[in-house]
Amino acid sequence: MPEALSPLARSAVRPPGPTQVMGGWEVSTRVSTSSLWLADVSPLAKVLVRAEPGAGVAARLGVGHGRARRRADGVLVVGSGPGEWLLVGPPGSASLLAGEVEVERGEGFASVVDLTHGRALLRLTGPTAPMVLAKLCPVDLSDRVSPNLVAFRSFLANLATDVVRDDLDGSRSYLLHCERPSGQYLYDVLIDAGAEWGIEPTGVFAPPAKET
Amino acid sequence: MILIPCPHCGPRNASEFAWKGEHRPRPDPARASPAEWRSYLYHRANPCGWTTEVWFHRAGCRRYVTVERHTLTNEVRRAVPAGGER
Ligand SMILES: [Zn+2]
Repeated sequence: MPEALSPLARSAVRPPGPTQVMGGWEVSTRVSTSSLWLADVSPLAKVLVRAEPGAGVAARLGVGHGRARRRADGVLVVGSGPGEWLLVGPPGSASLLAGEVEVERGEGFASVVDLTHGRALLRLTGPTAPMVLAKLCPVDLSDRVSPNLVAFRSFLANLATDVVRDDLDGSRSYLLHCERPSGQYLYDVLIDAGAEWGIEPTGVFAPPAKET
Repeated sequence: MILIPCPHCGPRNASEFAWKGEHRPRPDPARASPAEWRSYLYHRANPCGWTTEVWFHRAGCRRYVTVERHTLTNEVRRAVPAGGER
């Protein structure tokens, strides 16, 4: 008998703990008590924009390669490459975000693609988060080189990963973004690397960052 | 370790790049003789010294970069976007 199709969206990552359906996504409701935690935030809307770097689209997005900015409405605009941007917004907002990107006549080629279900997105937070990443990533994560809202793509445990530093209430936090099939691998490798600092998985509704 | 100063991303380990080989000007396919085309496809200078080559930053900006590298010391003296792109 064919299995009934589920309208439920599932992330590439299976964090432990009880789950709950929120906004069409099956999410973990586990809450970490550690100061260092890893959350699967794949339900967040992810929209990729490509455009000519010098075109009006680029100016309207308001951020260049290597930096990210938080819009007043909370949407994170990431300059993920030369002529490439990633918009990260609340779950379910992908078509809204994509529709807002205006491309005017004469601005050259541009493309807007909803990647929400094609990518995995994790959030690593805690005072020791840079130490965890330093075990896996060749880029200097010090404040001098990689301050808040810096964005880069590099290898993380040999996997091409988009890294955005997006501190939460003054606590170090990183958004890590990779292709969906590699999501569970990236998750497992971060849990392994963070074990010595007591990393704990947490649900999509992350606890407020704790100062220790 | 070879360190490549990517014009888009800054200095990165060569393991993030794919080596695409010596940079060679492409002859006009409509005018090139078979011998010229064969030379373009297969002949390489392979110098012991400075060479100009193309690397693809696959784990970074995903752009092609033209790099001047010393094949004996692996010193890199110049890296610019390939093909004169911005
Ligand atoms: Zn690069």
